[in-house]
Amino acid sequence: MKKNDSKNSDIKLDDEDELTVNQLIDGLEKLDEWNPVSTPNLQWFQANVELEKKRIRKKQWKDLLTFISVAVLALSVVIAVVYRQPILFLYFQLVGIILLPLALNKTRKKVSNE
Amino acid sequence: MYFFYFENERSLLVNRITYKSLLYGVDLMDEQDLIRKAKKGDTLALSKLLQQNYSFLVKYLMKITLHPQIAEDLTQETMMKCIEKIQLYNGESKFSSWLITIATNLYIDQQRRKKREKKWLEQEQALRKMKWNATNRNEEWNDVLDVLAQINEEIRMPIVLKHYYGYSYKEIGKMMGIAEGTVKSRVSKGLKNVREELAGIEEE
Repeated sequence: MKKNDSKNSDIKLDDEDELTVNQLIDGLEKLDEWNPVSTPNLQWFQANVELEKKRIRKKQWKDLLTFISVAVLALSVVIAVVYRQPILFLYFQLVGIILLPLALNKTRKKVSNE
Repeated sequence: MYFFYFENERSLLVNRITYKSLLYGVDLMDEQDLIRKAKKGDTLALSKLLQQNYSFLVKYLMKITLHPQIAEDLTQETMMKCIEKIQLYNGESKFSSWLITIATNLYIDQQRRKKREKKWLEQEQALRKMKWNATNRNEEWNDVLDVLAQINEEIRMPIVLKHYYGYSYKEIGKMMGIAEGTVKSRVSKGLKNVREELAGIEEE
């Protein structure tokens, strides 16, 4: 599991670095000694996985229902506008077409690698 | 179950390593099978997979956070994320590396949200507690842990991943979402920093 193989690393360490690395490894191993990990039994993991899966399913249903509700609402508004005042609908379309290039041209913040 | 045999590879004799590499092959096959089943929705397989990797994950988080409580909380969060995203695991890297990637990113996000002062206070408290525990056990505290705790986590993580776990710069870059060159420079500068700080402590 743990690779821990400095000899296979893609750099050659000088003596000073090697010493520091050894000190680091010793310190980190001490940390493991001082904080022993007790792994819970399989039932505990099963119970948690079940619980989490249930929570995810619930969340997915909630998201789906929200999406459907918003979609139905938006569609109803559009249909109502089209039937009652088609001219208003056309104005909206026109405004949308004019604003679209502006929205697309908006400079996006670049994601830095740092 | 074979997982626990590989925890202390460094301290093993050569003949035992050979024996273990054989077991490791079995372990990997076993793991692949579990992953396949877990992706199909098998709760038992996913639970076994998480159980096998639990100790490795806690120990990794302990080393990068240097804070037992945060390490434990992040382990839970990582497992939850893993349950949610298991379908997205593509087998490109080892399962344990995938878990490290999730845990690392959760830790980075968490630290970014915290204020510098709060981070420092938390770290100080955790170190004091660990020092206290070490003294109570009549063990000598290792100064390198103090030095590691002082370094920013974005530098501490690549150092631990590189020099303790032996991951390549490329793998670390992928895990942390940064360029390989950035990892290289962080590790090299960080190591130099650790060396200087340690020298400073020894001089005192």
